[in-house]
Amino acid sequence: MQIMELQKISKRYKRREILNELSFKVQRSEIVALVGENGSGKSTLLKIIAGLIEPDSGKINKRNKKMKIGYVPEIPPPALPFTISSYLEHMGRISGMGKDLLRERINHLLKLFELQDSCNTKIGHLSKGMKQKVVIMQAMLEKVELLILDEPLSGLDYNSQKDLETLLMELKRNGMSIIFTCHETKLLEALADRIFFLKDKKIMEERPILQKNITKNKLVFEIHSEVSLEELSSYLEIHRQSEVTQEVNVIEAILEQQHTDEVLVEILEKGASVKQLSPVYNGQEAFNNHFIGEQVWRN
Amino acid sequence: MEKLKGLFLYYLSNYLRSYKSILPIFLYIFAVAVNYGYTPNPILDSYSLTSLVLFFVMGWIVVTVFHAEDFGQRQITLLHAKNKRKYYLTLILVCMLMGCLLSIFAVAYPIIMNSFGVKVHLVHIIMGFLSHFILSVLAISLSAIFTREVVKNRANTWWGVLSILIFSVVIVSVKEKILYVSGLIWLLPPVHLSLEIMGADDGIKTIPLIYFLQFGWIVVYSIFLVGLFLILVRYRRLDQ
Repeated sequence: MQIMELQKISKRYKRREILNELSFKVQRSEIVALVGENGSGKSTLLKIIAGLIEPDSGKINKRNKKMKIGYVPEIPPPALPFTISSYLEHMGRISGMGKDLLRERINHLLKLFELQDSCNTKIGHLSKGMKQKVVIMQAMLEKVELLILDEPLSGLDYNSQKDLETLLMELKRNGMSIIFTCHETKLLEALADRIFFLKDKKIMEERPILQKNITKNKLVFEIHSEVSLEELSSYLEIHRQSEVTQEVNVIEAILEQQHTDEVLVEILEKGASVKQLSPVYNGQEAFNNHFIGEQVWRN
Repeated sequence: MEKLKGLFLYYLSNYLRSYKSILPIFLYIFAVAVNYGYTPNPILDSYSLTSLVLFFVMGWIVVTVFHAEDFGQRQITLLHAKNKRKYYLTLILVCMLMGCLLSIFAVAYPIIMNSFGVKVHLVHIIMGFLSHFILSVLAISLSAIFTREVVKNRANTWWGVLSILIFSVVIVSVKEKILYVSGLIWLLPPVHLSLEIMGADDGIKTIPLIYFLQFGWIVVYSIFLVGLFLILVRYRRLDQ
């Protein structure tokens, strides 16, 4: 079931174009990752979805107008002089929640986030991972259908990251949709159902996160050859089941690692020259390598 | 109303518990105590002086109240509040409460400490309170225009607030020479009106209507500035 659709969202700050006619849909219980270079507009897009920023043009269609959205900004956790409970109480009251409902929700969240024992601890005394949990908790005080997280694992240690991953998966199982940005490949692998790649601050490409299961240690070839391009293409596609894209005199092929050595030898024997060889990792690096064209190894 | 109450309690609690509130409040209490260190003191003159000190201290309080949250938390609070205008009005209300409490302190302290040479009447108390509180409100409205909500560069915040407050006081001394001629006096911050009122003799028995009108003009001027502030923040990005 679709819970939100963004239609042709555009945003510019003064003369700088940040987003250009972006469209995508979010399904119920789906985890969507936004990936892109710094400054590509990921955080701006999240703020638009959260309602913090108005887009210049475009529409956001929600499943219903009163749909609750929780937002976790990319911030150092709040340095506020409150305990976890009193902070959540304040945020709930500001939202207009009734006392009883608020108490019930806080207890539920404290249990879900395993912070019952720390509920009377001041936020300033918590670890970074616990603080991040508190920031997520405030976003979930009301029963939200969509949770937006901007760099949720930023600066967290391994154990805190694992905790948070488990928690987000639990939320997904409970029917919550999540949109997040991140630079941590492991989180992309572990969580994302789909990845949207923001490129050149305007074009959004979508990739289902299929690679996470089937693309371990792939290699990317960029081949420039004097030999017949069609011959090479068909060789790669037919005999090695490769993904091949062909331009004027360049063939780019993505191969399973197990075929790489023999394909490399055969192609060189056919008189082609290898321009670039780079590993494709799971998750974000796969996107970086594929879209940004980061060259790990050059011939 | 519940949301507004929630916002108000949150901000007040956050501000009072933060170290940022300690210094301006302490310095004002100290300044008042020093002012009444020697006795006897004239009533209205003394109130005039402490209200002018409060005028500057309120500039400090406004900046610290408005900047009490970091940017991320401000986004979170705004999303919970779901209303930009209520959010900023709450900040102003918190500042007004601080101004009101400090005004009460400034009026009550010399009475409790018996620092005046003559008997204090109700008229002195009313004029003293109005002078302090209304100048606080004026300082709040002037300073709000220079908080990070409006001024892009945070470094300019303190300079902006300090400059406008000093400017407001400086024009008192030049107003007769220049400002009445051009009519600019109605556009510039009316601190001079409060100082004129408080220049009255301590033997005053009733408050003339003109004094209420003058105080009233300061309030109207402040409301206009708050309105301007709300218009300005309406178009500001919330993620900066």
